[in-house]
Amino acid sequence: MSELGGPSARPDDSGPDSRRDDAARDSVLARAFVRLADTLASDFDVVDFLQSLSADSVEIVGAEAAGVMLADARGGLRLIASSDERMRLLELFELQGAQGPCLDAFSSGQAVQANAADSRSRWPVFAPHAADAGFQMMCAVPLRIRTDVIGALNLFRGTDTPFTGAEMDLAQAMAEVAAIGLTQERALRERSLLAGQLQVALNSRVVIEQAKGMLAEYLHMTMDQAFTLLRTYARDHNRKLSELAGDIAGRKISSAALIQRPGQGR
Amino acid sequence: MDDGGRRARIMAAVTKHDAGGAADAGELIQRLCWFAVNEMALSGCALVLMSGADSSSMLAGAGRHAQTVTGLQMELGEGPCLQAYNSGVPVLLPDLSAENANRWPTFAAAALAVGVHAEFSLPLSVRPGGIGTLDLCRDTPGMLSGEQLADAMVAADIARDAVLYQQYVPGDPDLAGLLATVGTDRIVVHQATGMIAAQLDETTSNALARLRAAAFASGRSMYDLAQDVVQRRIRFDE
Repeated sequence: MSELGGPSARPDDSGPDSRRDDAARDSVLARAFVRLADTLASDFDVVDFLQSLSADSVEIVGAEAAGVMLADARGGLRLIASSDERMRLLELFELQGAQGPCLDAFSSGQAVQANAADSRSRWPVFAPHAADAGFQMMCAVPLRIRTDVIGALNLFRGTDTPFTGAEMDLAQAMAEVAAIGLTQERALRERSLLAGQLQVALNSRVVIEQAKGMLAEYLHMTMDQAFTLLRTYARDHNRKLSELAGDIAGRKISSAALIQRPGQGR
Repeated sequence: MDDGGRRARIMAAVTKHDAGGAADAGELIQRLCWFAVNEMALSGCALVLMSGADSSSMLAGAGRHAQTVTGLQMELGEGPCLQAYNSGVPVLLPDLSAENANRWPTFAAAALAVGVHAEFSLPLSVRPGGIGTLDLCRDTPGMLSGEQLADAMVAADIARDAVLYQQYVPGDPDLAGLLATVGTDRIVVHQATGMIAAQLDETTSNALARLRAAAFASGRSMYDLAQDVVQRRIRFDE
């Protein structure tokens, strides 16, 4: 479906304009790669990242609009980012009608390209929406992590100029940049979650011992008695042991409150 | 050598004795410590888990100085591991005798007194914080080579992931056992901290600081002094 050097290709591809385009394209590419490094920063936002990547793809590949869809936990696609509002609506139609270039790229794992006529025959429900939005050429490339397809990048053009082989390659490169960013972000988020659990577990041991010491001193009891009191109170009041201990060590709850019977005041 | 190749080489070095399958995480981090001691001519290497400045514990260690540096810093409440943990940035002290007048005069003097001359502390970093440090020390002064430092940083990442990803794996009793004992050597210190906080009507972190200062002033260990507090032989409000 893709033709290299179609009728609308410029006659002088090596002219100064083309060189300027190449330079501009290179700098957008470089910017996209720099953003990848941002995945290591603490305030990295995956939606912002994919949003910028959509906008960069429009410039690099030479399209009018772009969007990224990702698979959710159940394997269904969700729209995550798009370069403009028109694209966002169109992709929602694509998801609703369960047909379109992004879904094909996702399910086949292959790049997809179609003009207006192709799309009418391949995606009868989706094609009229694309035409209404003013798009005549569309392509989609899969987002892959190793052999798993995790989503797709969609690119649309308002003219009927096909995406060249080189442009499809660039689109695939951008999809790979997105996939690397997502992989890094997932690994970092997972680690951060696990580390949080570990820290909570270690900290809770410390505050439980501190709370025992505090109860033992205020209420003149042994450490064992203090622990029994702590555990009983937590159970009776449906509280987590470590949270109750934190409240006692931080004096949000007075030690005396633990031996007061209900009705004895607070 | 790139990080991927470095990681593969270190993993091969610490798992090569296994006949079937990978070593469990507890064994793996212990072997990482031995690997560091042997490859980098260290007198001690320790993997230390921390949660806040008040709590740290050695999870694995190798070499005669393994426990030394960690223990000193908990007693003194200052030093390179605490800084590496808090900042997420490695702290490299190739010559502790030169540190005497610098950042940690008390720590440096105490470390030199027990024969530690160089100390390198690498954070087990996890965005946005960390879970502990990999501490390397030597009984002679001198900087780690670039290769050694790069190896050590990759070893720290391997250890971090082993601890994180296997903390709840049921089939890894070794690590679970290790994690269960983390901090148990400090239980009496935390109990004493709670008692002192009650005696002085102070926050627990101020109470811990008081215990630490009293131990330092009397030349005793925090553990010993804490025992006296918990046994009600010493009070802080008298």
